[in-house]
Amino acid sequence: MNKQAKFSNYSEESYPPIPTGATRFFRTCIPYQMIRFVVLNLKIMRIVVGGHS
Amino acid sequence: MSKRVLVLGAGIAGHTAAMLLRKQLGREHTVTVVSPAANYQWIPSNIWVGVGRMKPEQVIFPLAPVYRKQRIEFHQAAAKVLFPEGSAGSSPCVEIEYTDEARRGQTARIEYDFLVNATGPKLNFAGTEGLGPDQFTQSVCTYHHAAQAWAKLQEVIAKLERGERQRIVIGTGHPMATCQGAGFEYVLNVAFELRSRGLSDLAEITWLTNEYELGDFGMGGAFVKKGGYVTSTKVFTESMLAEYGIGWIKRAGVKKVRPESIEYETLDGEMHEIEFDFAMLIPAFAGCGLKAQDASGNDITAELFLPNGLMKVDADYAPKPYEQWRVEDWPSTYQSPKYANLFAAGIAFAPPHPISKPFESPNGTKIFPTPPRTGMPSGVIGKVVAQNIVDSIRKGSVSLEHRASMGRMGAACIVSSGFGLFKGMAATMTVHPIVPDWEKYPQWGRDIDYTVGEAGLAGHWLKHFMHYMFLYKAKGNLGWSLIPE
Repeated sequence: MNKQAKFSNYSEESYPPIPTGATRFFRTCIPYQMIRFVVLNLKIMRIVVGGHS
Repeated sequence: MSKRVLVLGAGIAGHTAAMLLRKQLGREHTVTVVSPAANYQWIPSNIWVGVGRMKPEQVIFPLAPVYRKQRIEFHQAAAKVLFPEGSAGSSPCVEIEYTDEARRGQTARIEYDFLVNATGPKLNFAGTEGLGPDQFTQSVCTYHHAAQAWAKLQEVIAKLERGERQRIVIGTGHPMATCQGAGFEYVLNVAFELRSRGLSDLAEITWLTNEYELGDFGMGGAFVKKGGYVTSTKVFTESMLAEYGIGWIKRAGVKKVRPESIEYETLDGEMHEIEFDFAMLIPAFAGCGLKAQDASGNDITAELFLPNGLMKVDADYAPKPYEQWRVEDWPSTYQSPKYANLFAAGIAFAPPHPISKPFESPNGTKIFPTPPRTGMPSGVIGKVVAQNIVDSIRKGSVSLEHRASMGRMGAACIVSSGFGLFKGMAATMTVHPIVPDWEKYPQWGRDIDYTVGEAGLAGHWLKHFMHYMFLYKAKGNLGWSLIPE
């Protein structure tokens, strides 16, 4: 979605970073996302296991 | 000697506690659940119900058959009065009022040796004039509300398809509401659905929030490693909204809702109004209104509960300025300081103070989020409460070896939009710990290596995975106890 179509310059909404094509590609790149899926699961598991005693 | 454990509430905290208690206690002990609802609901998936991607029946299941199978006694009833010292010579007990069709309105008293108050939040729509699904705004806090929100959203979609402009406002409906994560997920899902139908250009979507900065989420925001920088969740959140074409209004406390407009005050004390065709606003949360009496019949509600109805536990409730807040203020056993056999789990326990910095407008309106305790923290708290009760019963004296402070545990928030394996995207945020510990982590307040903020399909898969996994676990299916909270 193109933010310029929605928000004018100098509006607060015009300042945040918007993903480039490469970033969008990696967001939906299946092999890369499969790796991230494993990494996120491990990080969440570490949080769950380490969160109580 | 057999013991009786009573659990009030069958949400994430109460259900987790009841299932673990039943699994770990011998058959000579009884585990009883009292819940006014007939169904368990996996609340995180209500978002999908609210955009028509799931039917209500996909996020719920009836509690009675599961409890029958697990040999947990179940009363579909609302807890009304707590007698922690007993009543007229009885053991400690709770007065309940049945809500099922057969016994609606009838009352009974259930005695206990240990009590877990996991009654969750009262959705306090009445705290804001005109708020709620019976008034002028929608909600996704229950599956009923989410289904109604979807019905209303379909009317908006129909108007957009006819070429009519529509104004959509989603966010917090009270100056001190929490659960920004759910609202944020819903606004992204609505934007996703409109984009997938080619209707974005006619829809003006606004995120209306009581946060000082976006990405606060009631936990004072967070810092994440991203793109070679350590950046704040403010940037991450604003980026997501801007990408989806969603505008925002922050530092806003909603005061009143009219049929087509929302009146709100901002931190500078100015009053504003925004018009809407569709609004989904999260209400303030309060305790369920449980009263308490001592053995003489005196009302001791104020000794056990804060004025908002949430139960006092082993936290430091002494008022202190933001600069003096410490993680040690937060409870770790959730035991009542007054009665050793009484615990609160999940949203029912009273936090010692907010996590986000408090702000007040020149008119005296407090505008900031209260702390989130939903999802993962609720499950973990339910677990440690159950473990301590099991140990106490086995040892014959109260044992509090198991601990879980929100200043020591982490949480994951997955804000997923779209549906299906490849048509969607999620923003995954994990923080550890939930309450920033500036003494242990002086630079960022949290363990930066385990605080994540990233967007992609992986989080979207995780969200789906969790939906099926946690419903499987909650149903007590084979191997359920191996699945972590």
